[in-house]
Amino acid sequence: MNYTKQIQDIAGRLFSEEKIDVFIGYRNTGFDENQVPVLINQYKDVDQLLFTDKSVFNLANYLKYEHTRNKRVGLVVKGCDSRALNLMLTENQVKREKLFIVGIACEGVVDETGGKAQNCVECVMPDAVVFDEMLGTPSGKRDYQENSDIRALDGKSLTGRQEYFEEVFENCIRCNACRHSCPLCYCSNCCIDQETATLYHGANTTSSAFHALMTWSLHLAGRCVDCRNCEKACPSHLPLHLLHKQNEKVIYENFQEHLAGMIQDDRGAFYKYSLSDPDDFIM
Amino acid sequence: MARVGVFVCFCGANIADFVDVPAVVEEAKKIKEVKYAIDYKYMCSDPGQGMIRDAIVAHRLTSIVVAACSPRMHEKTFRKALSDAGMNPYLLEVANIREHSSWVHQKDKKAATEKSSDLIRMAVAKSMANEQLHEISVPVTKRALVIGGGIAGIQAALDIADARIPVVLVEKSPSIGGKMAQLDETFPTLDCSQCILTPKMVDVASHPYIELLPYSEVLELDGYVGNYKVKIKRKASYVNFDTCTGCGACWQKCPVKVPNEFNMGIDKRKAIYSPFPQAVPNKPVIDAEHCTMLIKGKCGICAKVCEKGSIDYTMQDEIIEREIGAVVVATGYDLWDPKPYEEYGVGRYKDIITSLEFERMVSASGPTGGVPVRPSDGKIPKSVVFIKCVGSRDEAKGIEYCSKICCMYTAKHAMLLHHKVHDSHAYIFYMDIRAAGKGYEEFVKRAQVETAATYLRGRVSKIYKKGDKLMVRGEDAQIGQVVEVEADLVVLATAVYPYKDNSDLARLLGISYDKYGFLSEAHPKLRPVETAKAGIFLAGCTQAPKDIPETVAQASATAAKVCGLFAGDTMLKDPMVSTVNTDYCTGCQNCVTVCPYQAIITEEIPLGHGSKEIRTVAKINEGVCQGCGSCVAICRSMAIDLAGFTDMQIINEIVSI
Repeated sequence: MNYTKQIQDIAGRLFSEEKIDVFIGYRNTGFDENQVPVLINQYKDVDQLLFTDKSVFNLANYLKYEHTRNKRVGLVVKGCDSRALNLMLTENQVKREKLFIVGIACEGVVDETGGKAQNCVECVMPDAVVFDEMLGTPSGKRDYQENSDIRALDGKSLTGRQEYFEEVFENCIRCNACRHSCPLCYCSNCCIDQETATLYHGANTTSSAFHALMTWSLHLAGRCVDCRNCEKACPSHLPLHLLHKQNEKVIYENFQEHLAGMIQDDRGAFYKYSLSDPDDFIM
Repeated sequence: MARVGVFVCFCGANIADFVDVPAVVEEAKKIKEVKYAIDYKYMCSDPGQGMIRDAIVAHRLTSIVVAACSPRMHEKTFRKALSDAGMNPYLLEVANIREHSSWVHQKDKKAATEKSSDLIRMAVAKSMANEQLHEISVPVTKRALVIGGGIAGIQAALDIADARIPVVLVEKSPSIGGKMAQLDETFPTLDCSQCILTPKMVDVASHPYIELLPYSEVLELDGYVGNYKVKIKRKASYVNFDTCTGCGACWQKCPVKVPNEFNMGIDKRKAIYSPFPQAVPNKPVIDAEHCTMLIKGKCGICAKVCEKGSIDYTMQDEIIEREIGAVVVATGYDLWDPKPYEEYGVGRYKDIITSLEFERMVSASGPTGGVPVRPSDGKIPKSVVFIKCVGSRDEAKGIEYCSKICCMYTAKHAMLLHHKVHDSHAYIFYMDIRAAGKGYEEFVKRAQVETAATYLRGRVSKIYKKGDKLMVRGEDAQIGQVVEVEADLVVLATAVYPYKDNSDLARLLGISYDKYGFLSEAHPKLRPVETAKAGIFLAGCTQAPKDIPETVAQASATAAKVCGLFAGDTMLKDPMVSTVNTDYCTGCQNCVTVCPYQAIITEEIPLGHGSKEIRTVAKINEGVCQGCGSCVAICRSMAIDLAGFTDMQIINEIVSI
């Protein structure tokens, strides 16, 4: 998978036609094989852009910051990234007319070991679902499959799981990198930081980290698109996907096989009120 | 410094038998902020309330916790006690130690006592963050909208208008009257339906406080209780009602014949028609689907014969807007379509008719002049089989509920048949006879004795044709045998089903409905005429199957509710409503989509102080908000708070135990 040439061409064309102010893409770190996101403001920098199976990050995340606010933005999105972008559009965080979206029919990116990343193996939608221009040949939606780590966890007893998570969350340093790397964590005043939210306050204990992470994962329930930006950003290497994949599984099973961000204007399982919702539990 | 008073109620033996009340009081006294704690046998009694009033003054209390029954029961009582003592009533917290503790933990007094103490501790903690709240006053437009001009709508409109409140009555068909106008005689007294209905219809037309809009439909409803705006479509009637005298020349000369809906398609009406002779308003309308002038541009006979020149083929639909304060929905019912009963030969045999068709036949003003006839050959039937519960109480083919009126009208039909065709005989297949109501059981008995009708308990399994007769095969459970009855005519007592557009109307009005399409009341027992949306009320069969007396009673009840709502110039509303902290709001508008009352809109505010850029945030309409808290729960950035149940109050509660 290499779309470097095409993306450089598109970005170059957009700048020369003055259709965008910023282009968000990937560039080489400069010291190893890996890539980092880059915001390009002018035509002469477009040759920095590249796209290979090492283009792991979700670039939709950069639409929530000042750099791109009210600017015309071009960006590259893979299948998962586009679903997050779809949700941002639905939740009125970005305006579609300000975006030029280069969609990728993704073949999967690599993880740290160089093999195909787990979320790419289990990916339900490799093609961008929202785009202006598509690169590659779309392969279509795939069947949902349960995450193998979740299946392993389900095998453990309740106390076994509790011990496991207590051990894992102990490493959390509350740096909030997970939050900052998530395109759907766009609130300017996160509930975790608020004065009234005393549950998350105080020393960095397992309890406060636990509550903060649980709240965070519940706020992403039915919205998380499994791009794993949070896991890539986490300096403590917490297996954050376990929280999200469990939510995804429960929602998939209970809410008409709902998957986040697949269609525009679909706010997700928890954010809809319908007159046909069952109300027989109300006395 | 907070000074909390705790008042623990024995509730006679209800609480005291299962909770150690004095111990709970002692425990409450240990809480730092509690300056006064006491128990009493009945806190809700006048002396009990007096204790609260006195203690507020004597101990300079700043908030009150009453540990007693559910706040749904006596919250208002205790709030009043607070305001009588000069304190803001919303500084009250109720700890429910009856439903939440004594009643559910009757086997473990120690645990119940501990739980009661915990509940009080939570209430005290919550009260620390209580704020003084003030009732919101909302202006009221004193005009009511009644949707549907059947007997329910007519009664509601008349009762409201008699209280000198203007009413807009919207009816979709050309005349008011509804289903009741189609009936012949009514149970249990056999008085003529039209004779008792038409005076009321005339009253509606002549009432100075009623604006009658026939041949109209409600398109849109905006706003909130006391301040709704409604858009009504007046369908083009192609007849100028102001000049038309209703002389009838037009429909006598009209050459186009169409099945007559009012007579259940038994005879024909013209393309320009007034549905029945006593119609109100008694002005014809042109059926645009069938009029050759409107379809092909040829004919124009009605315009030629009209002396007043009232026919106007160029008339267009008109949109009318009205400001109203309350809505009564009275859209009535339809008959359930018995098509799934294929074994009865529904649709194949002409001599199987529905109850309403039979009703039209026996009506003196009906298409057959009051004599039942066989649709196949026009002969007068001698042997008539009535089948009850066609659709009703049939989970396999029809619906689960009982249509309630069929037992009674079938007994009435047996009587009417006996009156019109003296040598006839009625056979009635039934499951049960449900005749609960004043004079109802007596009426059924009378029908059985007078007509000597054969009541056969059992279901019909098959109807087939033998010569020109219909053979009805069914079970007579009382003798445990299959019986076959030779019938000239079969009448199906088809179920009462909601009016087909009910669910669309419910969505338009923003109220809920059940799986069949009946509109849902706010509480099945205690709020049977209100909907969950304030200011919208239900009358008649739009809510559930009902007979005429019940429908009229409910219609009058809605009128009482509307009059109560309009009693003052403004309406006082609970201050427990949501507010948005725009600093925190991200504008995701999830609250807009989850709000069941459409109480949340968006507004645009500057991005920052003095900024020219704008951003969109949520805004709550206090008048509409019912304080359900859905938006609070859904808001990820905690930008929404519900007065009386703020995040701080809830967190205080959680942290206190």
